[in-house]
Amino acid sequence: MNDVALSKNGARVLRGFFALVVVFLYAPIVILLIFSFNNSDIPAFPLSGFTLHWYHQFLVNADLRASLETSALIAVMTSIGAVVLGVLSSIALVRRKFRGKAAASALLLSPLVIPYVVFGISLLLLFHTIGVPRGMFTVVIGHIVITLPYTILVLVPRLEQIDESLEEAAYDLGASRFRTFRSITLPLILPAVLSAFLIAFTTSFDEYAVASFVVGSRSTFPIYLYSALRFPSQLPQVIAVAVVVLIVSLTVVVAAELGRRIAERRVGAA
Amino acid sequence: MSIVQPSEIAAAPKRRRRRGTAKVNLGLISVPMLWLILFFLIPVVLVALYSVGVLTLISYDKYLSLDLWRYFLGNSTYLGGPLGRGLFWKSMKMSLGVSVTCVLLAYPVAYMLALVAGRRKYTLLLVIITPFLTSYLLRVLAWRVLLNPQGVIQEVLRGLGVLNADGNVTWLYNSTFAVYLVLAYAWVPFVALPIFVSLETLDRRLLEAASDLGASRLRAFWAVTLPLSIPGVIAAFFFVFVPTLGEFVTPSLVGGASGYMYGNQIVDLFGAGFPDWETGSVLALFLIGVVVVLTVAFSRFLQPQQVTAE
Repeated sequence: MNDVALSKNGARVLRGFFALVVVFLYAPIVILLIFSFNNSDIPAFPLSGFTLHWYHQFLVNADLRASLETSALIAVMTSIGAVVLGVLSSIALVRRKFRGKAAASALLLSPLVIPYVVFGISLLLLFHTIGVPRGMFTVVIGHIVITLPYTILVLVPRLEQIDESLEEAAYDLGASRFRTFRSITLPLILPAVLSAFLIAFTTSFDEYAVASFVVGSRSTFPIYLYSALRFPSQLPQVIAVAVVVLIVSLTVVVAAELGRRIAERRVGAA
Repeated sequence: MSIVQPSEIAAAPKRRRRRGTAKVNLGLISVPMLWLILFFLIPVVLVALYSVGVLTLISYDKYLSLDLWRYFLGNSTYLGGPLGRGLFWKSMKMSLGVSVTCVLLAYPVAYMLALVAGRRKYTLLLVIITPFLTSYLLRVLAWRVLLNPQGVIQEVLRGLGVLNADGNVTWLYNSTFAVYLVLAYAWVPFVALPIFVSLETLDRRLLEAASDLGASRLRAFWAVTLPLSIPGVIAAFFFVFVPTLGEFVTPSLVGGASGYMYGNQIVDLFGAGFPDWETGSVLALFLIGVVVVLTVAFSRFLQPQQVTAE
């Protein structure tokens, strides 16, 4: 094959480079996986035997479990909030005409570029000034702000693909705006709504910088993890839970991607 | 960063019921807008007020002055002094180094995915992106395990005899190098995406035309592929450079004293020890200003769709 983009040797070199980058990306994760089964307090070679001790430790560590629950709860509330606001914004941006649309979309997307440390302290100042005690809800408020742009970026392209005449038909048949949304628009954008939900969930679940400024007495998982990193004795346990979280999130990501492809193929075929 | 062009569809003549549209339009957008005004814009205004002393941590000690700003702009710790010496410049250099490294690593990867990989390109793209979707802290943790003096890399070096039994590669851990390495590691997958998108939409017939006209592959790359992928490269660069400017998590976990960055300084000024919210606000607001200027400067290259995996 005489390819215009690359010679055969060039392609070989490029494939080799690609393989190296994949190794670079995955080697640290694999090594973490190995040490989670290592029977030693210190994660170092040589390996000193196989154990499930650290996984057991993690199951009985109440603080750790509580932090996972807190993070899950925050992530659920965040993703519901961000998806609702994201759907509202996307419909307005794609379907409606109003003045100042460019400014509105710039504002809605601006959290993408704010350094999280700066946003975190800004929120801290807000809650301090108006006298709101810090807690789970203050984290949720911040997380909705930073995940909203991601939901919009997922929803807008999907809405743009949908033939507007389907909605027009529903209006012509006498459906209200809400009814039209529920029966026509929502089912059509459902795959994108689900990916938006997942992106918001995983972002919130993993977010440390903003949460560290506005969290209350109940630690989130990243905050627990961060403080545990300072105590070497807890390291093997932390590695074990890290592996569990990693595998769960990898599974969710891959399943979501496959699900989205299947769903979009079905919608596309319909 | 407007993402929605008035679509051609809307311009086409249609039977359309107008039922108080203006009201509904504003109704839809008003809740998200209100959310961002309350929890994003107003907090930034508060930062500004703190930075000039209109609001202060100790509420009875209010003042109004630009002294902290003067101090910040003139002091060699942050910004002043010989150019490039302050903490702000250190963070700028770090972000620049990290984003350039990421682009150099990600470009060949994106090129191989878009132009060589063929049918499997989306699956392989997912392989590259997946690490980005896993926990950031866990990936930093993995590098701590690899890099620390008793860690995997140095133990292996000792085992191989490259390093003495009590030898220690000091630049590998608690160093600026470690910060660069871990940040580049964390951001490479994210950078690959916009470059991939720009290369994938490249019209292959242009390359064929170049080849028919006698251009070598290298010449075609320089004259056709590279210029057409530049918008993607710039967007990728921007979306790493800007968020890492305030980075403090990685520096505090693998950077040690020599990897202390501008972001760490902000955190410490708001921290538990000796909080100085007013000076911290000056630093924070200055960073916001820099980000706004950069965003405006880069805005014609930014197509926000590039950051999603659609």
